[in-house]
Parts: sequence; structure tokens; C-alpha cells
Amino acid sequence: MPESTIYDPFVVTMIIIMLILLLIIGLLAHVVTGAAGYYYQQQKESAQQKEKAQEKNGNATAITTTIILLLFAAPLFAQDSQTAGAITQTGNAYGGLSATAFYCMAGVIAIELLVVFMLLHYLRVFLSKERSPEAAAAKAAVAQKRRVNIWNKMNKFRPVEQEAEITMVHEYDGIRELDNRLPPWWLYGFYVSIFFAVIYLWRYHVSHTAPLSGQELEIAMAEAEQQKAEYLKKSANNVDENTVQLLTAANEISSGEKLFIQNCAACHGKAGEGIVGPNLTDDYWLHGGSLSAIFKSIKYGWPEKGMRSWKDDLSPVQIAQVTSYIKSIHGTNPPNAKAQQGELYKEEAANDAKTDSLANKVALSTPK
Amino acid sequence: MQVEQFHYDNKIVKQFAFATALWGIVGMIAGLWVAIQFYAPGAALNFAPTTFGRLRPVHTNAVIFAFVGNCIFTGVYYSLQRLCKARMFSDKLSRLHFWGWQGIIIAGALTLLLGYTTGKEYAELEWPIDIAITLIWVVFGINMFGTIIKRRERHLYVAIWFYIATWVTVALLHIVNSFEIPVSFLKSYSWYAGVQDALVQWWYGHNAVAFFLTTPILGLMYYFLPKAANRPVYSYRLSIIHFWALIFIYIWAGPHHLLYTALPDWAQSLGTVFSIMLLAPSWGGMLNGLFTLRGAWDKVREEPVLKFFVVAVTCYGMATFEGPMMSLKNVNAISHFTDWTIAHVHIGGLGWNGFMAFGMLYWLIPRMWGTPLYSKKLATNHFWLGTIGIVIYAVPLYWAGFTQAQMWKTFTEEGQLKFQFLETVTHIIPMYVTRSVGGALYLLGAFIMVYNLYKTVAKGKFIANEAAEAAPLETHHSTGREHWHRWIEKKPMTLLVFSLIVVAIGGAIEMIPTFLVKSNVPTITSVQPYTPLELHGRDIYVREGCYTCHSQMIRPFRDEVARYGEYSKAGEFVYDHPFQWGSKRTGPDLAREGGKYPDSWHYNHMMDPRIMSPGSIMPSYGWLLDNKIDTASTPARIRAMQKLGVPYPAGYDQVANKNLLIQANSIRLNLKMDKIETPKDAEIVALIAYLQRLGKDIKGTAKN
Repeated sequence: MPESTIYDPFVVTMIIIMLILLLIIGLLAHVVTGAAGYYYQQQKESAQQKEKAQEKNGNATAITTTIILLLFAAPLFAQDSQTAGAITQTGNAYGGLSATAFYCMAGVIAIELLVVFMLLHYLRVFLSKERSPEAAAAKAAVAQKRRVNIWNKMNKFRPVEQEAEITMVHEYDGIRELDNRLPPWWLYGFYVSIFFAVIYLWRYHVSHTAPLSGQELEIAMAEAEQQKAEYLKKSANNVDENTVQLLTAANEISSGEKLFIQNCAACHGKAGEGIVGPNLTDDYWLHGGSLSAIFKSIKYGWPEKGMRSWKDDLSPVQIAQVTSYIKSIHGTNPPNAKAQQGELYKEEAANDAKTDSLANKVALSTPK
Repeated sequence: MQVEQFHYDNKIVKQFAFATALWGIVGMIAGLWVAIQFYAPGAALNFAPTTFGRLRPVHTNAVIFAFVGNCIFTGVYYSLQRLCKARMFSDKLSRLHFWGWQGIIIAGALTLLLGYTTGKEYAELEWPIDIAITLIWVVFGINMFGTIIKRRERHLYVAIWFYIATWVTVALLHIVNSFEIPVSFLKSYSWYAGVQDALVQWWYGHNAVAFFLTTPILGLMYYFLPKAANRPVYSYRLSIIHFWALIFIYIWAGPHHLLYTALPDWAQSLGTVFSIMLLAPSWGGMLNGLFTLRGAWDKVREEPVLKFFVVAVTCYGMATFEGPMMSLKNVNAISHFTDWTIAHVHIGGLGWNGFMAFGMLYWLIPRMWGTPLYSKKLATNHFWLGTIGIVIYAVPLYWAGFTQAQMWKTFTEEGQLKFQFLETVTHIIPMYVTRSVGGALYLLGAFIMVYNLYKTVAKGKFIANEAAEAAPLETHHSTGREHWHRWIEKKPMTLLVFSLIVVAIGGAIEMIPTFLVKSNVPTITSVQPYTPLELHGRDIYVREGCYTCHSQMIRPFRDEVARYGEYSKAGEFVYDHPFQWGSKRTGPDLAREGGKYPDSWHYNHMMDPRIMSPGSIMPSYGWLLDNKIDTASTPARIRAMQKLGVPYPAGYDQVANKNLLIQANSIRLNLKMDKIETPKDAEIVALIAYLQRLGKDIKGTAKN
């Protein structure tokens, strides 16, 4: 089966990752069990034998080295077992990876990763606990002090106990003031913002290396034009009033209906019966009832009569769908229909039929 | 040296404190109400005064000027007396200030609900109220400076610097922005038009945030936070630097509300860079507040007052970090016109202003009634409700704003906009629901506070006049080496003048060229004044507060040009008194609405928006169909516009109504063709005329 997704490099990679992780878990679990046993044993002995601590450290290094080596080695094992794993997966994995399958695999990997991290965490706990509790406490204190120091240094804090030295002589209704220095980060931040201001004004108004609002728009429009042109070049969306053809597929008509309700019903009524705009279901048309005439009316509008242009809101295909939908509701005689407006239009009318059939021909010859 | 005995006036503090609590509740209820209208348009009750467009200004004015305003006065009247070791200058002026301010609030709320508005955000109140505000503000100033002058403390504490800068800058902002030509007793047109009006308005709007919601509250922080924590203020020199830097830089940042608009690029850039430079001075205040708590963090765990202050100052820090970021053009392109801005201001409003006010009240009331707070537990519950409320309020709105901006900007591969505007609104309605839940929690917390304070008041005994003593000021002997800044701290008037100079610089440099240099607003010859009917329509548009949801400013972005049309040019707005660019797009932009839909579409849409746009959250405007155009005022409106330089021919005010009826009749006939019968003098006709005019002036001309 050449189409089988099993040959898809992505799937293969996922499976390999799963297997590698599985292997790592196995190895880690083994090491952790060992370390745990070792740890408890050491705890028992540590009280009496101080020399053993040295040796133990050596052992710990040995264990870590083994782990690291094994970690590097793991991919090699995985390479070997790849085929085996792959075969077990073959059964339900062709015709593209379904979303469910993908999420299942990703989920498995996530859980495996979680287990790996948990194991690593425990390993660290077991190995680090070997240090004397006093040393650990001292280290924690140092860490905390360093953090406090950085914060104090950033703000040039004086210890609260030395406050008396910097208390100003004055006092207002019991409120005293200290004469602390400006927090350096604050001060330098202020300088940076002033520097930013100078550069900003320079770029926009002196060197003109940054685009002002109007230029920004020109750039954006040019980019958009280019993207649109590139897209349209390779899409079947290139319909216009000359090439439009009647769409009859149910899904096209229902898309047209949806668009009609959203955009046209406000003026033409939900059933096309006409409210502000004319009735679209009767035989009378103000601007022509042929497919291409309706397409044109939608596309360019009749602004002076209140019908706006929709070419910026609807894509050519969407206009074709709406046009076809309007054609499909012809003669439905909805309730509250607006009185006829414009001229009688008959589908069979010679010239229109000609245009239509011509349009169809053009449409047919347009590559889809 | 003889020590003098005197009494602090607590009664005025009490009055302002009660007003703070009352208007806080009122303003928040109004806020919750408008929040609910986002997903339940029926909550507008089909009643003009309770529609979003009128209720939203009531909410903003109530929380800013009534709630925070009274909070400021409470804190100032309490702390100023104690920092100056003197009773307020005049009890009479204190009462006048109090009752005058409450009168303004009530008059403001009523006129806004009735639709009397200038149409300029946060400055909506009409001209008689503007004058009243000016007078009361002067009363406050005299009272404050009178107290400072008869002080028994040589130097002014940092809190007072902030009070002084606040007073002088708010006066300047209010007076400059409120220049308007009265048409009638409660109707006026802004003195400025279009781009200039926008610049002045956002210079004002941004600095209302700066000098009404920030500097006075920083002053309160400098008094109440060290008091409550019983700790010295962290750094005197940080106070000096951040105070002067803050007031100098803040005033420049207004144009960041107008990025990518028709405002000249150079002004936009100034707005951006000064906003970035504003970050450090703002954080100076936060750091001075938080570092003052060094060595007192254990107290924060137990004391609800300090809890409120800590979150308030932290929210201040977050909002003042976010603000500069939103002033960067690439961020602003996403955040502006969306709910992101609303989330941002509520971090400041609910977090910083609200929590400072609550903390201050919890600290003040027990002291003035000589009893401990009724329940610390309830106060802590209030704290948690409020904090969770803020999170539930803000997070959904950030999400909504970001989502909506992305939806606006998404194109299909064919190069079409992917989403209709309405889709982008209905998509974020769940976020609006969540936001109102957050707001409701916050409001619930405020109710708990009122109950707690009521119980405290009931159990204590009010100390109306608090005894104090201090030595009078004697001629000052310099004690040798002093900090250089101590010099100005002895001279309140010099401080006042210096503050005024410092804040005047930024505004002047941005405004004067925009007004005087012609190239900043290039003339477009095809732009014509509004016809009398359109002018009436525009006034209705302003009256109904349409600008609270609809912008009239198409920014030069690909998506906006595709959705709304050619981007807006400075020259298009020269007859717009006031400008109506808006700051939020809950509905689509209307800058080029003219000619997009037929007249009858607008008629039906105003009657019930959901007929034409199913799912719309816009309120119905049924009364516009029945109300009659106020044609009696047409000549006055035209004359006011002529005074502002709008080139109507001489004597046009006398023929304007004739012209109006002709245009109205043509719209009536247009509607009739679509089977809609309407009298030609219905307000809807004027509004349709205005909407159909929008953006059309340059539609015919070539795009250049």
C-alpha cells in the first residue's frame, strides 16, 4: 500500500518519538528505583559513617553518567525498534492521519514527557538529598539573600534599620519623609524613554526613515493588491459579469441564500418580496433581469437609487451565488410582495438569451 | 513662643465624604445600567433619557466629577487643614463650595438626561453650568489659598504641591476647552471646529484624567498612605522629580487619543513620545507609595485601609504602564475604538480612584466619629469583592477589544473584508455580559461599604470641631544648608505660577501651530457648510449622544478604507462645531454614511434598528419620528455659526427656514415612494438629511 500514512515522514517521526520516550521511561524508572534504594540505604548509614559520603558521591556521579550515556544511546535502540512499532500501527493508519489519531498520538507523547519529567525530578531529589541538610539550608539562605540583594541593589534600598540617618528634619502632621536615592532602574528607565523620544521624532520627522500614517496606508494597499492578484491568479474565483453562469448545485444556492439574508434582506425582504428595494421575485426589473445584468447590479450597484456596490464586500463567486439564488426565487410570489417596478423581462427574450448563452459559453471555456 | 489653640472643621469633610459615597453609588448604578444595554437593548426602556447615548455621559460625569470630585474635596479639606495647621480659610466659602458643587452635579445630571449636551466627551455640560463650575472652582481656590496663607507650617508638604497644580491646571483646561457660543439658554456651539476642536478637546480630556483623576489623588495618597501605614514617605527627592516631571509631561500627551486621525502627523508624534516619557514620572508616584510601605507589609495583611491603598497604587502603576504602550502607533491601531480602551480606563477608575476613595473613607470616618470601624471583616469582604469585580470587569473587555480589532482587520484571500461590522459586535456579546457581572460585584462592594460606614457613624459621636494647637509662623531663619527645593515650598504663589508655566508650555506648543499654520488643515474647496436642515439633524445627533458609539473618523488603514471608504481628511471638518470624531466604535463609523443606504432604510432603522439589522444592539429612537424640528431656533443657530466664521451668506438666517422646508419636503417625498408617511417637520427628517450628507463633500472629487 504505497498510500499508507505509515510512510508519511510526520507519522514516522511521531511514532519514533513515542518509542524513544517509552524507552527513556523504562531506563529512567530502572535508575530511579536503584537510586531510591541506594538513598534509603545511605540514610541509614550516614549517621555513623562519614567517609562513606565521599564514595557515595562517586557512585552518584557514576549513576548520572550512566543515565546520560543511556540517553544518548536511546535513539539508536529506537532506530532498531522503529519497524516493529510501525507494523503494529499499520492496521488503522491509512488515507491520512485523522484528527483523533493525531491528538491521541500527541496526547501519548505529552503523557510520556510528563512521566519523564516526574522521573527526572525524583532522581534529582534522591541524588541531591545526599548532601547534608545544613549545607542545603545554607545554600537556600544564600539564594534568598542574593535575590533580596539584587532587588535592594536595583532600588538602592537602605536597610530599614538605618532609616534614622536619612530621615529629613521636617515633619507634617506627623508625616516624616526619608531622603532615599532615586531607584537607579527607574532613573535609567526615564533616560531611556527620553532617548526613545528623540530617536522617534528624528526618524519620523527629520530623517523620514519611518512611514507616516498616509504612507503606511499606501504600503499596506500595495501589499494587499499583490497578495490578491497572486491569489486570484491561481483560483477559480475569477468570475465577472461576462463569464458568470447559473449555479444550480444545492450547496451553491444555499450559500447564496445565506448571503442574501445577511446582506440583501434588509432592503429586499427575507423572501425577496421587496421593502425599500424592489421585489426580486416578479417579472419586472429596473436594471435588467438577466444573469449578467443582476450580477452587474450587485457588483457595481446603482448608488443614486440607494443600491450600493457590493464588490468590496462579496467575492466574485459569492456574487454569482447570490445572483443564482435570486434567479432561483423567481416566481415564488411571497406574501406582502411589493408592486412591480421597471420593465417586463422574459427569460426567453431573444437578445438576453443570446447574451446569457454567450456568457455561458465563455464561462464554460474558462478553466476552472 | 505662644502656642495657639484652634479647631479643624470636620463638618465640611463629613459633607463631602457623604456626597462621595452617595454619588459613587449613583454613578456606578448608571454604569451598570449602560453596561447591561450592551446585551439587552431593551434596558434603554424606549425612553430618550435612558438610552445609552444620554446615560453614558451621566455615568462618566457622575463618577468623575461627582464621585471622584467629592472624594478629592473630602481629602483636601481634611488634609489641607492638618498640613497647614490651620482651620479652613472661611467656613462660608466651604459651604458655598459644597452646595455649589452638588448643585452643579444635579443640574448636570438633569440636563444630560434631557439631551442638553455640548457633545464633547467629559465636557458635555452646557454653558451655564460651565460658568457655574468656573465660579465654584474659584471659590475652592480662594478657600484653599486662604488656608495656605494663614498656615502655621512654613513649608508646603508634597500633597499640597499636587493640590495647587491640580487647581491651576483644571482651571486652565476647563476654561480653554469650554469656549462656546451660546445659541439659547441651554444650547451652544463649540468655539473651535474639526481638527482644532479635537486637539483642544483631547488636550482637555487627557488632562482631565491627569489633573482630576491623577494628581489630586496622588496628593491624597501622599497624606493618607503614610498616615495609615504610620511610615515615613520613602523619598523626598523622588517626590520632587516625579511631581515636576509629571505635570510638565502629562499636558503634552493629549494627541495620543488622536493617532491615525486627521490631526497633523507632527502633533500625533508629540503625543506618542511624551506618553512614553510619562511612564517613569507616573511610576515615580507608584514607587514612592509602595516603598513607603517597606517595613509595614505585615500591617497590610490586617488593615483593610492599606489593602485598598496597595491595590489602588498597583492599579495606578498598571494603568500608567498600559497608557504609554497604547500610545505606540502599532498598539493603538489595535486598541483604539475598541473595548480595550474601556478596560484600560476602568483599571484606573475602579482600581486607582475607586479604591483610593474607599480606603480614605474607611480611614477618615472612624477618626471623625472617634470610634473604630464597625466591621473590619466587612471592609475586607468589600476589598475582595471589589478586586475580583475589577478582574472580571477588565479581562473580558481586553479580550473583547482585541478580538474585535482582529475581526475588523481580517480579509479573505480574495481581498474582501471577512466580517460584517455587526458580526464583530454580536461575537463579543458574551464578554459584555461578563463585564457587567464584574461591575455588579464592584457595586455590591460599594453598598457593603455604605452599610459599614453607616454603622460606624451610628455608633460613634461626630467631632465637628477637632481641637488642635500650633505655634504661629515667625519670620523664617534659614538653617544653613537646605535642599534647594525647600525654597519654593515656602512660597505658595511662586509654586502656583511655576506650575502654571510648566503646564502651559506643552499645550501652547501643540495648539498654536495647529490654529495658525494653514498647512495643518489644508482647505478642500468642495467642503460646504451644512444646510439648515442638516444642521438641525447634526444637533439631534449631538443631543442623542450618537458619538458615544459611532465614530466619524476613518483612519488610513486598509480595512477601514475597504469598510467605510476614503480615509478622513482634516479639511472635511472645518464646519464641525463641535467635532464628532468619537472615541469608541460600538457601532460602525459614520464618516461616509451619506448615500450608503436609502432614506427609508434610515427611517426604519431609527424606528427599530433590528428591523434592518437583525441582532443590532442599538437602541430604538421612536421619538424622533414624532418630535417636531425646532424651526423657531433656526435663525439663532445660523447666526451663531456665522459668528464662528461659517460662511453662510449675509441675511441667510432669515431665509434658512424656507430652505429647510424645501429640503425636508424632498426627503418626505422620497420616503413616500417607499410607502413611508411622515410629516416633513419630524426630527427624523433632519437626522436623515444629516446622515445622508456625511462624508459626501469629497465623494465626487478625485481621490487626492
